[in-house]
Amino acid sequence: MQTVKMVISGAVNAGKTEFIKSISEIEVVSTERRATDDTKLIKKETTVAMDFGRIAIADDLVLHLFGTPGQKRFDFMWEILSEGMLGLVILVDSTRPETFRETNRVIDFFVSYRDTPYVIAANKQDRPNAWTPDELRLALRQPDEVKVLPCVASERESVKNVLLELLYVILQRSEEG
Amino acid sequence: MALIGNIRDFGLSDFLYLVDRGYKTGGLHLNRGDESALLFFDRGKLVYAARRQDEQSGDLLVRLGRLSPQQLVAAREKLETDAAHVNLTQIIIGMQMLSQEDLQSALQAHIEESVYGLFGWPDGEFRFEQGEKPLPDTPVMPAPISVENLIMEGVRRIDEWGRIKDRIPSTDMVVKFVDQPGEKAKGVKLAPEEWRVFARINGKDTLAEIAQKINLSEFDVGRIVYGFVTAGLVDVVKKPKPLTMQGAPIAETPRVKKSLVKRIINRIRGM
Repeated sequence: MQTVKMVISGAVNAGKTEFIKSISEIEVVSTERRATDDTKLIKKETTVAMDFGRIAIADDLVLHLFGTPGQKRFDFMWEILSEGMLGLVILVDSTRPETFRETNRVIDFFVSYRDTPYVIAANKQDRPNAWTPDELRLALRQPDEVKVLPCVASERESVKNVLLELLYVILQRSEEG
Repeated sequence: MALIGNIRDFGLSDFLYLVDRGYKTGGLHLNRGDESALLFFDRGKLVYAARRQDEQSGDLLVRLGRLSPQQLVAAREKLETDAAHVNLTQIIIGMQMLSQEDLQSALQAHIEESVYGLFGWPDGEFRFEQGEKPLPDTPVMPAPISVENLIMEGVRRIDEWGRIKDRIPSTDMVVKFVDQPGEKAKGVKLAPEEWRVFARINGKDTLAEIAQKINLSEFDVGRIVYGFVTAGLVDVVKKPKPLTMQGAPIAETPRVKKSLVKRIINRIRGM
């Protein structure tokens, strides 16, 4: 059985858990604890370990989805999760510009030392005053070649679209065979 | 739809960059305690800015000594009756009360100073109303100005590392030119000290190394490079890790087979 891995990351409350829940075939394994720092101002329970979801591709192939902690003190987890991953989805809460700096830090961590295929998912596009993908590209200073995609993490079709767009990026960079 | 936030989290220079690169048209409303400001942009360029309510009308030109009260009354009467003119600026120029150059000069100096003062705000709510345009009585600049120089001058007034670190986490970062600065670089006016830093950017040296070479403090180099980054001229990147014996970067993502990726694509499409 071969397993491949995709990582879903982003700032606190960007929608990582919801994103994985929308597409996983198994009940998502979330190790959540009551937040003990300022994140509790944002939500009561925030991800402090990780989320895990799974999609069976075939009898011999499984896709694992890992949601990474969004808090600074869990930087060490990113290092472990990013080993051998196919690609990365960076989720951004499009309604909260105060999280854009943290999002840049996440992108920088994953991308600066590794040539990791990634896309940015502009989550919560169904909310009023959500910044558009084009505005987020400018706010995050991302080059044109990076896909910034509209997303509503609670909707399966939207999540599927983000994963497919990431897979197209991975496909372009994959080798024959 | 409005863009809403706080400049504590998304700085004014970042917002100006977004307006510029996004060719935005609209009004930026800023509020901090008792203070407020209103900036108008037309396709990414600044056309007007005011820090006070009474500066948002033609009265400003009287206060600046550029028009007499009688001239302003005459211009406003013409504005109300003449459908061919869209705003007060066109009336003033059309009636030859002021030349375009004089009006531009007077307004630009005032507007630029208004904006520079905003860079000193450590926080403040902002709301950008897309498509909002100034009232006809607002004395907009005849020639809208690009925001790069506003950013550069605003950044010159920053005197703390805290803000600089948003974009430059450490002085061990390498400075490199962006791939396509395009027309943007042409319009930026640099001070001599900034030129010294600019000339040392080679895509290899860190900020600390540049500071050492030109005998400036790391803070000064950081502040100057922060301005370049904010104006979209350069990027700062982490110093590449050393290569292995085979010449490949450490921790390179393994290449996957196309057939495997296609299998996953087909599965997810079918979900």
